[in-house]
Amino acid sequence: MILRRLAPAVQPLLSVAGAFVVAGVVVWACGGSPLEALSALLQGSCGSSTGLLRTLSKATPLLLSGLAVAVALRAGLFNIGAEGQLILGALAAAWAGHAFTGLPAWVHIPICLAAGVVVGAVWAAIPGALRAWRGSHEVIVTIMLNYLAIQLAHFLVNGAMKDPVSMAPATSMVEPSARLWAAADGSNFSAGFGLALLAAVGVAVLLRHTALGFEIRAVGLGADAARVAGVNVGRTMISAMAISGGLAGLAGAIEVLGVHRRYLDAFSPGYGFDSIAVALLGGGNPVGVTLSSLLFGGLSAGATHMEAWTHVPRQIAGIVQGVVIFSAGARYLKGRRR
Amino acid sequence: MQSITKRYPGGVVANDAVSLTVLPGTAHAVVGENGAGKSTLMGVLYGSIRPDSGSIEVSGSPVTLRRPADAIRHGIGLVTQHTTMIPALTALDNVLLGFEPSRLGVLDRRMGRNRVEELSAQAGIEVDWGASADALSVAALQKAEIVKALYRGARVLILDEPTATLAPAEADRLFAVVHGVVASGASVLFITHKLREVLDHSDHVTVLRGGAKAGDRVTAETCADELVSLMLGSDRSVAHSVEATPEASRRSELALQVSSLTVRGRGGRPAVHSADLSVRAGEVLGVAGVDGSGQRELAEAVVGLRSAVSGSVTLCGEDVTARSVASRAAAGLAYVPEDRHREGLILDFDLSENLLLGRHRDASAGGGRFLQRRRVLADAARLLTEGGVVSAGATAPASSLSGGNQQKVVVARALARRPRALVAMQPTRGLDVGASAAVYDAIRARTAAGMGVLLFSLDLDELREVSDRIAVMYNGRIAGVLDRDDAAMDQLGKLMTEGRP
Repeated sequence: MILRRLAPAVQPLLSVAGAFVVAGVVVWACGGSPLEALSALLQGSCGSSTGLLRTLSKATPLLLSGLAVAVALRAGLFNIGAEGQLILGALAAAWAGHAFTGLPAWVHIPICLAAGVVVGAVWAAIPGALRAWRGSHEVIVTIMLNYLAIQLAHFLVNGAMKDPVSMAPATSMVEPSARLWAAADGSNFSAGFGLALLAAVGVAVLLRHTALGFEIRAVGLGADAARVAGVNVGRTMISAMAISGGLAGLAGAIEVLGVHRRYLDAFSPGYGFDSIAVALLGGGNPVGVTLSSLLFGGLSAGATHMEAWTHVPRQIAGIVQGVVIFSAGARYLKGRRR
Repeated sequence: MQSITKRYPGGVVANDAVSLTVLPGTAHAVVGENGAGKSTLMGVLYGSIRPDSGSIEVSGSPVTLRRPADAIRHGIGLVTQHTTMIPALTALDNVLLGFEPSRLGVLDRRMGRNRVEELSAQAGIEVDWGASADALSVAALQKAEIVKALYRGARVLILDEPTATLAPAEADRLFAVVHGVVASGASVLFITHKLREVLDHSDHVTVLRGGAKAGDRVTAETCADELVSLMLGSDRSVAHSVEATPEASRRSELALQVSSLTVRGRGGRPAVHSADLSVRAGEVLGVAGVDGSGQRELAEAVVGLRSAVSGSVTLCGEDVTARSVASRAAAGLAYVPEDRHREGLILDFDLSENLLLGRHRDASAGGGRFLQRRRVLADAARLLTEGGVVSAGATAPASSLSGGNQQKVVVARALARRPRALVAMQPTRGLDVGASAAVYDAIRARTAAGMGVLLFSLDLDELREVSDRIAVMYNGRIAGVLDRDDAAMDQLGKLMTEGRP
C-alpha cells in the first residue's frame, strides 16, 4: 500500500538523480571535481540558515506559479502564460501598494494580494475562454499573451506608472503597510513562503475535495465523458485557467510585496517558464510541486555559492534543470499519447 | 486469408477463424453490422493489426504482414474513410509522397505525373492533380487516394466504407472507378453495410456476423433478403431470453416525448428529420436502423448534448428542449452512451469517482461544493454491489475492469438517480451473454417502477427480445413504429434498408 502510494515518485526521483549524474560528468570532463561542486551546491542551498532561507525564498514564486501550471494541467490545459500572468499580477500589486495610503497592514496587504490574483486570473481567463468558445489552442494564445504582458508592463513602468523620482524603470515603493514581513539577513526570505504553502494546501483541497476540482480533473482525464455526464466543459476550462492565472498573479504580488517592494522592470528571471518544469516534475500534484519547487529553488540558491567557492560556473545548475525538464517533459508527452 | 483469429484483451473475439478469398479482377464486398469484425479483418490484411492465428497468401505464396509497409510491398492498398492527404501539398505530390520518382536524387515530377495520369486514365479517374489537397472535394480526394494506392503498385485495393461520406451521385461515380480498376485486372475489396452497393457493384460477397463468417455468396446468386438474414442472424437461437415489460406495469402517461425533432449532424448536414417518438412510462421503445441513420444524433439531441434545429423534447410532460445536459439529468433523464471508454467512463478515475461523475453536486451521493469522501465511497460500494460489478473495490481504477463490468458501472450510474426516462445507445455492444443479461435486468428493474426507455441498437434480435415496440430509422427519419409482436424480421429489414414496409 505504502509502496503503491510512493510509486509515482519513483520516476521523478530517478530523473533528478540522473540529472545530477549528467551535470557531474560535465564538471568532471571540464577538469573540475564533481563532489566538490555538489558539496558547495548543498552548502549554498541548505548548509546555513541564510542558505536555507534563500532556497525557500527562491522557491516561493516557483511554488506558486508551479501550482498555477499544475491546476491548468489537471484540466488538460497547458498554461505557458504563467510568466505574463505573474508579471501583470506583480504590477497590479505594486500599484495597489502605493496608490492606497493610510490603511492598516491587515487591510492593505490583502488588497494588494487580491489585486495581483484578480489581474492574473482575468489575464489567464482570456485564453481559457478562447479555448472553450472558439477552440483556439491555449498554448499559442498564452505564449502570445506573454509577449503582450511583458511589453505592456515595460511600457507602463517606463511611462505612466514610473516612479518620477527614480532613474530605474520601476514603480514607486509600496507603502510600508503593504510590505510582507521579511528576514533581514539578505536572503530575501519573506512571509510569502508561508502564503505559498497555504496556497499549495488550498490547491490540494480544491482538487481532491471540491466539486469544482472534481470537474477540473474529470475534464482533464476525459473531457468527452465529463460532457456526456453533464459537466459544462467550457466553463470548467475557464475556471481552471482563472484559478491558474490567479496563482501566478499571486506569485508576482508576493515578489513585489515581500522582496522588491516595488515593481521593477524585468524583475522576473523567467519564474513563469521555470514553473512549467516545476509542475511537470511534480506530476501536477501539490505535494510534488512543492518538493520540486524546493529542488529548483535550492539549485538556484546554491549555484551562486558553488561558483564563488569552486570556480564551477553556475550554469552547471542550469544543466541539472535542463535534464530534469527534458525527462519530465518526455514523461508528460508519453502519458498524453496513451 | 485463412482462419484469421483476433482476440482483444478482455476476451472480445473480433475475428473468429475467418477465411476470405479474393479472386483477381473481381470486386469483393464485405458486409456486416457494426462490430461484426469487418474493420479488424481489413486491418489484419493491411498489416496494421496482427492476428493471433491464421495466414495470408498473396498470389499463392504465404506472406507475413507486420506493418502497412509490408502490405504495400505485397500489392495491398488501403483507402480509409478519412483522407490521409497532406492538405498543403498538391494532389500529385501527395500521391508521389514516399515513393518519389527521382533521377540522380532529384525529384522527377514529370515522370511521376505521366505515371499517375496513365493509371488514372486506366481506372477512369479525373482529378485536378495540380490543385492542393485541401481544395479538393471529399469525392475527389477519395479518387486521388485510389490512384495513390495503384501508384504504389496495389493489386488488391481495400476500400473502407467508401460511400459513407458521399452523395448518391458521387457514390455512383466512385463505383464506376471501382469497375475501371477491376477491368484493369486488379481486385477491389470493399466494406459496406449498404446492401444496394453490394448487389449492384460486387462479384462476390462475404457476410460477417459477430466476428465470424456468416456466409460467402456469389452476388449474382443471392438477394437482399438472404443477405439481411445472414447479417442479422434471424436463424440465431435466442441467446438470452428477456421478457418484455408485462402489460400491467405499462402506463398510459408519457415518460419521454420527441416531437418533430430536426437535428444537424457533423458538418452541419441534417441528420434527423422531424422525428416523432413517444415512450410511455414503463415501456421500452427500441430504435432499429442501419448504423449511421441518425441514431446517434437523435439520442444526443434528446439528452441535450446536441442542440435541435427545431422540434421539442418533453420529459414527463415538461418541455426540456432548451435545458442543459445536467439540468435534464436532474429532471430525471439518464443516458447510457455508445462508447463506454470515451463517453461513459474516465478510465483513469477510480470507480467511486466514475460513479460520482454527473452526480457530484448531489448531496445524496456525497457531492456538493465540498465532496464528502466517506459518503461517496459508501454510495459507490452500494452501487457496485447492487449492480453486480466484479471489482477490487470502489477505489480500483475503471481501466482495471472487464468490458462487461465497465458497462455495469455505466448503467449503475445512469440508474442511480432513479431516472424517469433512459436513453441507451447499444448498451450491450461487445458484451457476452451474461453481462448483457445483467445490463437488461438492471434496466428492467427500473422500467417495472415506471421508467421509460429509448433503446438504440443495431442488433434486431436483441431489440425484438427486450422492446415493447420498435421504431425504425432510415436516413434520419422514423420510417415506422411496429409492435413487438408484429415486427417480423423481413419487415424490419425492409424498413431499415428501404425506408418503407
